[in-house]
Amino acid sequence: MTLVVPPDSGPAADDPADEAVSAAVGRLSGEFSGRVGPQLVVRVVRDCRRELGGSPVGALPELVERLARYRLDRQIG
Amino acid sequence: MGYVDVSTVRHTLSDGRVLLDDVSFRIGEGACAALVGENGAGKTTLLRIIAGDLVPEAGAIARTGGLGVMRQFIGSVRDETTVQRLLVDLSPPAVRAAWEAVESAELTLMETDDERSQMAYAGALAEWGDAGGYDAEVTWDTVTVAALGVPYDRCKYRELSTLSGGEQKRLALEALLRGPDEVLLLDEPDNYLDVPGKRWLEERLLETRKTVLFVSHDRELLARVADRVVTVEGGGAWVHGGGFASYHDARAARHERLAELRRRWDEEHQRLVDLTRTMQQQAANSPDMANRYHAMQTRLAKFEAAGPPPERPPEQKVAMRLRGGRTGVRAVMAEQLELTGLMRPFDVEIFYGDRVGVLGANGAGKSHFLRLLAGQSVAHTGDWRLGARVVPGFFAQTHAHPEWQDRTPVDLLWHGEPGRPGVDRGRAMAALRRYGLTDSADQPFRTMSGGQQARFQILLLELSGATLLLLDEPTDNLDVLSAEALEEALAAFDGTVLAVTHDRWFARSFDRFVVFGADGKVYESTEPVFDETRVVRER
Repeated sequence: MTLVVPPDSGPAADDPADEAVSAAVGRLSGEFSGRVGPQLVVRVVRDCRRELGGSPVGALPELVERLARYRLDRQIG
Repeated sequence: MGYVDVSTVRHTLSDGRVLLDDVSFRIGEGACAALVGENGAGKTTLLRIIAGDLVPEAGAIARTGGLGVMRQFIGSVRDETTVQRLLVDLSPPAVRAAWEAVESAELTLMETDDERSQMAYAGALAEWGDAGGYDAEVTWDTVTVAALGVPYDRCKYRELSTLSGGEQKRLALEALLRGPDEVLLLDEPDNYLDVPGKRWLEERLLETRKTVLFVSHDRELLARVADRVVTVEGGGAWVHGGGFASYHDARAARHERLAELRRRWDEEHQRLVDLTRTMQQQAANSPDMANRYHAMQTRLAKFEAAGPPPERPPEQKVAMRLRGGRTGVRAVMAEQLELTGLMRPFDVEIFYGDRVGVLGANGAGKSHFLRLLAGQSVAHTGDWRLGARVVPGFFAQTHAHPEWQDRTPVDLLWHGEPGRPGVDRGRAMAALRRYGLTDSADQPFRTMSGGQQARFQILLLELSGATLLLLDEPTDNLDVLSAEALEEALAAFDGTVLAVTHDRWFARSFDRFVVFGADGKVYESTEPVFDETRVVRER
């Protein structure tokens, strides 16, 4: 099990946007711990990251985390 | 690099008068052109047509390069507009549209935080990036640091009303000069700027590679910066290809040429009319002459259809007759005078006939000094007095007369005031005519333009019989021709003149200068001093 978004899922792993996405996975995993499995968090974040791919790099972490949180809420809602 | 091409533009006012007709000129790439003309000649209307705010009744505007526009009201913004809003409004259309979309998406997101609004917000941010919004924000940061000394993030929500007029102007000018637009239209960019600010503006306009068309009444700025002068007069426009130094001669020569062309046309027209009449009489007796008569008729009709050349524009006639009168040798004496809290005690003696420029820092007490000499109540210590037969006449900045706002010039002249007898309507109209104010005779003072209000105040000085003129920024609202009329009138005035001014050109006509320093020291200078900084006081 890994919480790190695989490098082949998008830009290079050292891309600052993807580092921030990794951080979002970490935060959301903690936030939804016990209610949603970590693998689901990774999948939802990865999907959000892909769908928001055209967004400005600086805004990406916030956009991804916000959208992923909304979707995870809906999953357990 | 961009250019502006104005081609046969026509504009009619709502009352049917033709303001501009067949106006054509081109401002080539990298040119810095001044747009001059009397108040009301149509300068601002022409700028609005070029900016696309008004659609011309006929003709067209062509240009390349983005267009940046600084409107005249910047400098007097008193509403809730923020620094951010101003910078957005001065940006290219794509940045403005993207900013509005981000604002709208943020608002929606605050109200409804669902997937659709989040995706719309992300889309708006992407558009913002594509439109160059992030680059614009970097530029805005440079702009606010240069104009206000603080980064963009620390001042973006600050209201413009908390900034001085000069700071508002500087902010807008920095944004336009550093922005991407290649063509700039600047409507009175120097208003509200102090002399160091004007010098800064001159340097920036001289070094910019953008194409600039600007309106200004500041003759120093015009002389230093403009490489051509577009004049709006007589309903048309013409371009002097040289600078302001040779402008007056070029204008006089053009007027003479127009008058000569018109005279020749009138003469030729009369000759053709006379010839046609003669042939008409001869045609009654001779069929051969009848043919020649018809040919003559056709020739006259063609000549009239082609129309006369444009008339020489009417000269603005402003005849100021400031008479004055002989007074005692010492006109003004002050010993250890201190306007409370404004400066250190100073001595000054001003003699009959002196022309004294009162210069110095903003807030140092220059206007208060004039008001004191005018007999108004100003807190002070020390002594001052006026010499024998010295009658002060005070010209205040135009907003300083709330009691005049709803009264008309004829009414103010008819009633008179202490020291200035009232005059009947006939004499009032004659005086107003000399000052080019006939059309404003019966309109409330508040609805007159700044230039008209200023000319009216000078007329009141003329009628008051003043022998000591105390003038507070008298050229601020005067167009170039009116300012020159005032200078001529002051040169002929038999008396003493003290004038507070930031007008460098006007100041050259004075022979002594009293300078109010930022450190509270008042000193005399034989040369104009304009680099005293603003007085800093605790607020």
